[in-house]
Amino acid sequence: MLSKEIMVDFLAVGLYLLMGVIFAVIPLIVSWMIVKRSAGVKREETYESGMQTIGSAWIQFTVAYYIYALIFLAFDVDVLYLFPVAMAYGKYGGIRDLVEVFIFVGILSLAIVYAWCKGVFEWKSREE
Amino acid sequence: MTMPAMCRGTGKTGMMWILGFILLLIKLVLVLAVLLGMAAALVLVERKLLGRFQIRYGPNRVGPFGLLQPVADGIKMLLKEDIVPASADRVIFMLAPAAVAMTSLLIFAVVPFAEDLTVRGRRIPMVIADLNVGLLFVLAMSSISIYGIALGGWASNSKYSLLGGIRGAAQLISYELSMGLSLVPIVMVSQSFSLVDIVNAQANYPFILVQPVAFLIFLVCSMAEANRLPFDLPEAENELIAGYHMEYSGMRFALYFVGEYVNMVVIGSLLAVFFLGGWRGPFLPPIVWFLLKVMIVPFFLIWSRASLPRFRYDQLMHLGWKVLLPLSLLNIVVTGAVILVTGR
Repeated sequence: MLSKEIMVDFLAVGLYLLMGVIFAVIPLIVSWMIVKRSAGVKREETYESGMQTIGSAWIQFTVAYYIYALIFLAFDVDVLYLFPVAMAYGKYGGIRDLVEVFIFVGILSLAIVYAWCKGVFEWKSREE
Repeated sequence: MTMPAMCRGTGKTGMMWILGFILLLIKLVLVLAVLLGMAAALVLVERKLLGRFQIRYGPNRVGPFGLLQPVADGIKMLLKEDIVPASADRVIFMLAPAAVAMTSLLIFAVVPFAEDLTVRGRRIPMVIADLNVGLLFVLAMSSISIYGIALGGWASNSKYSLLGGIRGAAQLISYELSMGLSLVPIVMVSQSFSLVDIVNAQANYPFILVQPVAFLIFLVCSMAEANRLPFDLPEAENELIAGYHMEYSGMRFALYFVGEYVNMVVIGSLLAVFFLGGWRGPFLPPIVWFLLKVMIVPFFLIWSRASLPRFRYDQLMHLGWKVLLPLSLLNIVVTGAVILVTGR
């Protein structure tokens, strides 16, 4: 359950966001009211170095780093768990904390070592 | 410790609430004005410094020494038409720039920028909201800002923009982990997620002295976070023309632009809070110290822009995954050992 103080803090953040939006929207509106508008079909085309635009950009193609993205996803969640560990570090004293952090980080590192050995971090030029 | 602390303990709770609310509003307006003003000034500072680095003058025609250049830029953008390409995804195209500008502004909500002010026995904290999860809030917001780049690039339906957006995502998954991990030792030393507490923990010495490795990792990651050279792959102007914001014009382009410069200031303030002791320093008033420390990162970013070539994006990913990530994991374990031996 959130305490009242925390609620007020988040309200302040919300208010700040609202002010930021107002600061951003006013120039947009002013600009919309005073700009001189041009006409023509070409001006709504996407830019392609002055040539006629060829086809859409929304096509299928390989994103070469998708395995990185998968590892990142798993890793990012683990890192989030590392923060409470860091917070509690040293609360109970002794060598136990260090051993626990060592095990935690060690298992995390194994994931990188595994991916590294599997050759995920090598970019090969793909043959057809 | 924000408004309730100031409001509690008196009979006229309603009055206190209104007073607290007005104080908060004043603070919000001041912070926003200063932040946006600094972003505008930074545009001029960057062009001036770049000029000097390249042995030329930089802008010097508008006003004395070109000081009014940001105003001229602003008016020019205000007068430009806001064109949405016919083939673009209209809604996402129009909203994406806001994601970049808003998230970089929002991060500043948890940054303490001066010592608490005491007026007639009432403490006024010089931070918008001292969230007890401030550090996690910072990390969350900095991750969200990538949506502005990735979605803006995709929604434009232009090949260059799409490539820029995809590179932006590649960049995020390379530096974000190391950035988060470089802050774990800070939490271990200061035992708090609140940025106010982290600054207070540096009363005796700034954390850069005990965490030099984390500082360097954070500095490199912050260059990637700001999308600046040598990591400006999403907008690499000589291969992608302008990358993710190529199709944007007028005020919507200005939003991206302002977002980028506010981001530089915000990253500077984060570096100051986490490693340089925030507003703490001898002789000068706290706010001056804070501004001086904040300007370190923008200056460094401009300097690196003038002197370093761009990374290729597989090189960036290798740097992130093979160098920074193992280094930051090692740093956590070493920090743990040192804390154990020296007892914090």
